[in-house]
Amino acid sequence: MAVKISLRQYISGDSWLHHLDPRSKLCCGLIFVIAAFTVVTLEQLILALTCTTAILISSKISPRAVLRSIHPALALLAILGLFNLFFIKTGTVLLTLGSAHITSHGVWAAILYPTRFAIALVVGSLTTLTTTPTAIADAFDSLLSPLSHIGLPGHEIAMVLALMLRFIPTLIDDVQTISEAQESRGAALSSGKMGLRIQAVTALLVALFASALRHANNLSRALDARCYEGNAQRTHLHPLRFQHHDLICAILTCSFVAALIYLA
Amino acid sequence: MAKAFTSNNTLVKQSSQGDALLAAHHVSLIYDDAHNKNNYALDNISIELHAAERLCILGANGSGKSTLASVLCGLLAPDTGDVRLLGEQVCQNGKIDLEAYRRARRGIGLVFQNPGDQIVTSVVAEDVAFGPENLGVPSDEIAARVERELHRVALDAYADADPRRLSGGQQQRVAIAGALAMEPQAIIFDEPGALLDVRGRRSILHVMDRLRDAGVAVAHITHYMEEALGADRVVVLDHGKIALEGTPAEIFSQKNNLAALGLEWPFAARLARKLRERGLPIPWVSTDKELLAELGKLKSISVASPAKNSTTVPQAASVLAAQQLSFSYTPQHKALENITITIPAGSRVSIVGQTGSGKSTLLRLLCALELPDEGKILIYGQDSASGGQGRRGRAWRAKLRSRVGYVMQRPERQLFANTVAEDIAFGPSNQGLSVQEVQKRVEEAIEICGLQDKRTASPFELSGGQQRLCAIAGVLATKPKVLVLDEPTAGLDPHGRQELYRLLSLLNAQGVTIVQVTHSINDAANSQIVYVLNQSHLLAASTPQEIFCRANQQELRSCGLGLPLALQWAIKLEEAGFIQADELGQPLTIDELADSLASKYVAKEAHDGSQN
Repeated sequence: MAVKISLRQYISGDSWLHHLDPRSKLCCGLIFVIAAFTVVTLEQLILALTCTTAILISSKISPRAVLRSIHPALALLAILGLFNLFFIKTGTVLLTLGSAHITSHGVWAAILYPTRFAIALVVGSLTTLTTTPTAIADAFDSLLSPLSHIGLPGHEIAMVLALMLRFIPTLIDDVQTISEAQESRGAALSSGKMGLRIQAVTALLVALFASALRHANNLSRALDARCYEGNAQRTHLHPLRFQHHDLICAILTCSFVAALIYLA
Repeated sequence: MAKAFTSNNTLVKQSSQGDALLAAHHVSLIYDDAHNKNNYALDNISIELHAAERLCILGANGSGKSTLASVLCGLLAPDTGDVRLLGEQVCQNGKIDLEAYRRARRGIGLVFQNPGDQIVTSVVAEDVAFGPENLGVPSDEIAARVERELHRVALDAYADADPRRLSGGQQQRVAIAGALAMEPQAIIFDEPGALLDVRGRRSILHVMDRLRDAGVAVAHITHYMEEALGADRVVVLDHGKIALEGTPAEIFSQKNNLAALGLEWPFAARLARKLRERGLPIPWVSTDKELLAELGKLKSISVASPAKNSTTVPQAASVLAAQQLSFSYTPQHKALENITITIPAGSRVSIVGQTGSGKSTLLRLLCALELPDEGKILIYGQDSASGGQGRRGRAWRAKLRSRVGYVMQRPERQLFANTVAEDIAFGPSNQGLSVQEVQKRVEEAIEICGLQDKRTASPFELSGGQQRLCAIAGVLATKPKVLVLDEPTAGLDPHGRQELYRLLSLLNAQGVTIVQVTHSINDAANSQIVYVLNQSHLLAASTPQEIFCRANQQELRSCGLGLPLALQWAIKLEEAGFIQADELGQPLTIDELADSLASKYVAKEAHDGSQN
């Protein structure tokens, strides 16, 4: 297999996270992620990890599904951690391996930065895994509606974002099937000389581009046929309505931020 | 049957004369391409669609069917002519009224070929709700409509499912429910069954008939003539013009015109022709009923059951084999379990089974595109997994793959080059052959696929059938001794299908082993070995004669398959009392059926000519 990319896709379920209004979910998620990046002390890190674990468990999404959706990035984080471990020279030297010194600051950085990143990834992917593309579109639509007042296409931007999320898996499937077909014709996608590889990748990209255009064409036909006009006249099967658990979620998020500030 | 529809048709026409729901008068639509200016996609077409009518639109690829569908559902305005949709004059003499178009579109639904591209979100119920939401329907009303329409297409249990996890047929039903939830007065189906299996197509026809009975105007574009037989009215397009129009009986009595228009004869008509060729005095007929009546006029003699055709599996060295193979994509669900198959050199093999039975996965394993979890895949006796997972394994699998030609589903998606010849040259030049050798292979592949006059054309400008042949030519140019094809005829028009059958038979005669996954039982009946997959297991492995027999009918149906048309016909004749059980033997192809019928019936004139 040339490529095996994980699918970041909605997983249906019945947890509080699924029932949260997508607007509050997206906003609180964003605040949580930003706050997580400000973590610098051990106490803060423990708090952030505890909260993330609590969200993960209560979302009833299997940790394996979350892991599957973020694992490509995790490899990158591991490398980031190793860099920190070996290249940070400040702090007391704990261990010397040949010419490399491992310092206390290095160890801390190797733990802190990747963990912070992982927290952001987990919370971010939980947000998308528990929200359907239309709900995300509706949330953006509502959040971006001030843009419409100043003449920018808020509704359309929201729909484009939602359709992008919806079609990522489809395009990934295309990459897989087309690259398999080209590999069967001897295309050197995963091994071979550089020149042949470039030729193979070009062939794949052109075919993929043609395929994406076909999807886009069909999709625009489907949107037109179903009278999508991108305006505020739309109604909703599940209208967006803030409920008391949205308030609780907002309070919890604020408390998390306050606690981080307190622990700083 | 034809008579009933004719009367029904006149009734509709009388009740709604002059107030057609959708009407286009003298519309033309011009498009330019690189080579020709002023191509007519539609050329002075006038067409009407009435309430409670099912209109079928036929025509070869490129005849303008889909363009006409877009005009009728208000997505495309013609360059000249008048269009009136649901009482709105949307286009008069080429002048477009966008507001009227917007209003009209709200009452016209469209379902088209590719189910995946019509679904906009990741939950079935929300997708069905998308249309009504756009129309501004109140929430509780939307919920009621979603429930009603999902029930109509028998998907009640799937309201919370992810459409991507459904089969193609189920996805298409989601798309139909989505269109119906907008409560359209007219609905247009643009080749909805082209990519579906028999069961999927049948269920869509069923939905269409019920809509028509509920008073909805239905326009149906299809490549399957049998589907047109049940329509109220048929229109045949040819190069943007209406070539024929009338009831199915009228259309299919135009025997000489049909082939020229790129249409296939219905099965009864083809069988009647075969019988004429064998000397029976049977006139042109288009429906089963007429053919039965004609056969009834003949005198039958009792004959012994014809000798069974040879039912031995060809014996030759195996080129591909799976041994106790198991494979899964996710830990919870096995895609294939304990499969053992052998594919002898030079044979023609079909793998059948309903959507989701694991057919395509099996093909991908046989081509070393995937490694088994358990068991072995042997390609020319070599284990596909013996290189392991790493770099060495990749090189090993690449070497094995070069000996198997793999044609994926809808292979035209792999086309990329500027010209047909360049695209075909991709495979051989990857093999590191000399320029002359590559050139020679390209020429051979072009020749065998009949693309001689398309050498310098862009692959993207070819018709659907030619694109498929071009993609297959690209695989053939690597000179595989085994050709593995996944649904090679899906989505092709009758002419494209014929071309492909011709090509596969030719290759097989040249000694190339052909392995195909197919939805078509009639295709499978033409092969030497049939493997039946059901729910990840191998259900049967034998000759078509052993598998497609009367005794297996029930079991085949339970796994979404059926008997070949020829055998269904033989059974129908027995049930109608024409023939004693087993007198016809077990005809699997139309030729076998015609042979047994010809030995059974004699012309009355010949038998007792003195009385006439």
